[in-house]
Amino acid sequence: MSDSLIGNADKKWLFQGLGLTIVVIILAILFSLINPKFATITNLLNVLTQASYYIILAVGMTFVIAAAGIDLSVGSLLALITVVTFELIKNGLDPILGVLLMFLMGGTLGAFTGYLISYINIPPFIATLGIMVSLRGLALVHSAGKMHYGLPESLTWIGQGDIIGIPVPVLISLIFALFGAWLFNKTKFGLHARSIGGNREAARLAGVNVKLVEILVYSFMGLSVALGGLIMITRIDSTQATIGTSMEIHVIAAVIIGGTSLFGGKGTVYGTLMGAILLSMMTNALVIAGVDYFWQLFIMGIIVLIAVTINNIRDKRFLFNSKP
Amino acid sequence: MQSFIKVENLTKSYGGLKAIEEITLEIRKGEILSLVGDNGAGKSTFVKTLAGAQLPDSGHIEIDGEDVRLDSPKKAGFYGIGCLHQGLGLIDTLNVPENVFLGRELQKKVLGIFPQLDYQRMRTETRDLLNQFSIKLPKLNDAVVNLSGGQRQTIAISRLLLQKVKLVIMDEPMAALGVEEGSKVFNLIEKMRSENVSVLIISHNLEHVLKLSDRIAVMKNGKLIKVLEAQNTSREEVVKLITFGLS
Repeated sequence: MSDSLIGNADKKWLFQGLGLTIVVIILAILFSLINPKFATITNLLNVLTQASYYIILAVGMTFVIAAAGIDLSVGSLLALITVVTFELIKNGLDPILGVLLMFLMGGTLGAFTGYLISYINIPPFIATLGIMVSLRGLALVHSAGKMHYGLPESLTWIGQGDIIGIPVPVLISLIFALFGAWLFNKTKFGLHARSIGGNREAARLAGVNVKLVEILVYSFMGLSVALGGLIMITRIDSTQATIGTSMEIHVIAAVIIGGTSLFGGKGTVYGTLMGAILLSMMTNALVIAGVDYFWQLFIMGIIVLIAVTINNIRDKRFLFNSKP
Repeated sequence: MQSFIKVENLTKSYGGLKAIEEITLEIRKGEILSLVGDNGAGKSTFVKTLAGAQLPDSGHIEIDGEDVRLDSPKKAGFYGIGCLHQGLGLIDTLNVPENVFLGRELQKKVLGIFPQLDYQRMRTETRDLLNQFSIKLPKLNDAVVNLSGGQRQTIAISRLLLQKVKLVIMDEPMAALGVEEGSKVFNLIEKMRSENVSVLIISHNLEHVLKLSDRIAVMKNGKLIKVLEAQNTSREEVVKLITFGLS
């Protein structure tokens, strides 16, 4: 893979990314042999479309986890900003302004989460757990549990349109993943996020503005939620306060399967992309095979546990190799 | 030799305990000064005040003739003082140029607008710096966790040299290193001296201290009891001073 596509950090863990790509290809072949319906172009594009918002959120989550953080609030944030925006647009707000507002809310609320973590020193797990519950509550208060639907066509094109046969969500998610890989590997922001995850104190002593970078990392996560949310609601042309429930598990799983260390400091956006595609592919295969939704949840949970175990084994080996 | 830093009557207490008392010492440009003494002699406290990690209760610090207040590591860095901690402050998951340039990265513009890390220049400059100090590393793109203790030590030193420090403070620089690796770090310290960089070493290894230093400052119970010219002293004399003081 060329330098421009896979940057410094990604190159270091390329083997892992390639390994995952091989797993994705083998599974795709296996699913196709079991059920020929899986192998159709329409279904594969459908898998990628379903994966698109997970890819976008998982790219943001790669930065968070690489910076030794976690964000459990992504599903709730998505719910709140989509119900608020949806209702405003339905009440006559210009769709472009509505979309801008959605990004503004996502970025600002993400930055607030980052502030709680970096300045108030609340551990990321607890801070985002609190935010998760609060935002879900706000979303429910705002929409009183009702379903919103009927966006203008100019917006639904984002989720339902295609360009030369390729669904717009797929294109957006792939472009965003490329942008994410560039940001992660080739920019000061990405390097600083990885350095904080690697050794927060050493990064601070080296002159990295740790607190600011943490706020920016969570703000970028919020912006990713806004973009993913935009694709999600324009694809299904509806939203409600319960949208995105348990989404964080899927997103975190994609990042971990993709090889980003739960201890922080290292990861790859390419691996995350593959992780998100792998999960969507499995969900799709289970649906085609007629597996009950509740069993799907069970299987997804098992996959997450396996991914975390593999991640732990790899990182323990890594830590064991650490020099004093 | 010209003086780089002069401290006068430096005192620091923790509660009722005087960790350092009335220390007066100068560090000259391009000299290697070793600080020796038993545990609790006040070496670390003294070094912390020079590194900006803590303020003294009283006394003065003068750098290049200017009275300074070193109230943070950043301020100490501004005056050309760099500190090499025992943990080295490296980030295991980053590679060599990323570690060397962290916090002062080189960037270039992509499409004339977007700033992007200039890895090529960072690699080249790291290589040049390492060559200048005769340091050989097999691969620069490896995460530093994969490097040996000596190699990591040299990277940490390189990072300080890149910042054009005038005084490097090293806490047990040869601890946990093998003979060969230790001798490489040894050479690097001598090379720094030849580049007119001052080096202040805290060490318990008197063999290294005697071989490497220009002068040896002996501390006991928070006081500086004697400064010896290394070439005119013996191991026995240093041990005697460390153990019994001047009595």
